[in-house]
Amino acid sequence: MDIQKILALLKMELLKLVREPAYLFLMLLFPAVLTLTFGFAFSDPELGNTFNVMVPGLFAYACIFIIMTVSQSFTELREQGVLRRLNTTPMSSSDFMLANLLSNMILSMMQVAIVYVIALLVGFNSNSDIVGILFAFLLMALFSLSSVGLGLITASISKNAGTATGISFIFILPQMFFGTFLPITSTTRVIAVFLPSYYATDALTSIFNGANLLSANILIDFAFIAIFSIVVVILGILIFKKYGNK
Amino acid sequence: MINDYGSDLKVSIKIKPYEKPENIINPNSEFSIEVQNLRKVFRGKKGYDDIIAVEDVSFKVKPGELFGFLGPNGAGKTTTINMLIGLEKPTSGTAIVNGYDVYDGLSHIKELIGVCPQEPSVFKFLTGIENIELFGKLYSMKKAEITDKTNKLLEFLDLSKASRRKTKGYSGGMLRQLNMIISLIHEPKIAFLDEPTVGMDPRARRATWEFIGSLKTKNKTIFLTTHYIEEAEALCDRVAVIDYGKLIEIGTPQDLIKKYEVKNLEEVFMKITGRKIMEGV
Repeated sequence: MDIQKILALLKMELLKLVREPAYLFLMLLFPAVLTLTFGFAFSDPELGNTFNVMVPGLFAYACIFIIMTVSQSFTELREQGVLRRLNTTPMSSSDFMLANLLSNMILSMMQVAIVYVIALLVGFNSNSDIVGILFAFLLMALFSLSSVGLGLITASISKNAGTATGISFIFILPQMFFGTFLPITSTTRVIAVFLPSYYATDALTSIFNGANLLSANILIDFAFIAIFSIVVVILGILIFKKYGNK
Repeated sequence: MINDYGSDLKVSIKIKPYEKPENIINPNSEFSIEVQNLRKVFRGKKGYDDIIAVEDVSFKVKPGELFGFLGPNGAGKTTTINMLIGLEKPTSGTAIVNGYDVYDGLSHIKELIGVCPQEPSVFKFLTGIENIELFGKLYSMKKAEITDKTNKLLEFLDLSKASRRKTKGYSGGMLRQLNMIISLIHEPKIAFLDEPTVGMDPRARRATWEFIGSLKTKNKTIFLTTHYIEEAEALCDRVAVIDYGKLIEIGTPQDLIKKYEVKNLEEVFMKITGRKIMEGV
């Protein structure tokens, strides 16, 4: 592991955020707009603050969206021949992947922070203390790993960035409809239990309701997200190295 | 079925396993590049013939030599380079770079080489300088060293003014110059320059060729492919001509001109391949 190389790549990834308006919109402004819209639409004092119920799902949704940006980013680099060029340098593929994982985890933390601040501004009430909030951020960082893994799988099977955008929705939509801000019914739960977003939203709901962080419910959710994310990200890296990095 | 070479012959290929040299790591090798019976076959998709991109190619390049690898489009130049820099695995034969086998010693090779790909491959959202800095760091260079070398290279190639702009707005010629600077920023022992001047205006091309010529004085080994045969004649110590994947001639430009009793290298090329090098470019 070479820290200088990882930091150089990390800086490059973060510079992309301020240099590419479309990327900036997708990564930071879109979650902000989404939170504001839902905040104003569902924070009706007469009907009760249903927005409170939606915030955990919005946290998860922000992280799910990374699937699209990761897949676009990798297919673009491949199309531009940059990945091949990087392959001719002494940088190891593990340094490259680590830099990408770190940058996407940082971005997901930024997204979640934006969602949290805007949610508070439009009336979100949390019963959690600071430790609970920090734990929620840690959980989202872990959850974002699974999105990076799914993004890498998408990039591996996509010929170009346009295709990657379309294919990424195969992974985004089920997680969005079965486990984020849309209410889960007994029917949709049958599918939702196989998706990490369901566990992420469930854990966040418990945390924001002030539940003990060591409660069985939260620990089970945490364990599922951790195992799922690690397996998917390793799978994503292996598939991308074999099929996507050509 | 018509293959890439326009032939309708069915190609039946028996692939031999990749042959490793006995002495895989030999850093004291007297050659910078040693290629022996190198072969690359791309498997055709279902219903299509296999394509022999490089067939039985052998040559040696000495340290400090500027070696021109000439051939028309699709001749196998880039595939040969790709095997030497580890982007493609040879189907058979051996390739040794600075004493390291391309199969087993790739990590050592990557420390020693600089690669200028045919198509400019840079991060579009970064400026020219940021691109150079990034790649410099990937070669473990110190910031001060990168800045010093970057300034010299940018000045030499007259790219200083544009270097603080995002590369998205660069012309094709500027991108190619940046492409080459990136490949040479770490002063590699061996540089692989794949068509570095294609698409440049005459002034930029001249500056680039002057620059490539100046590398000879630094005892760098340059493996160069180009379509500009008159410049190859002026600069290269030796040239090899490849066509349809086969190496058909190798020698100094002067020796080849003498051997074929013609006026220049372009005529040598026409005589041995039956066409101009720029055809199809």
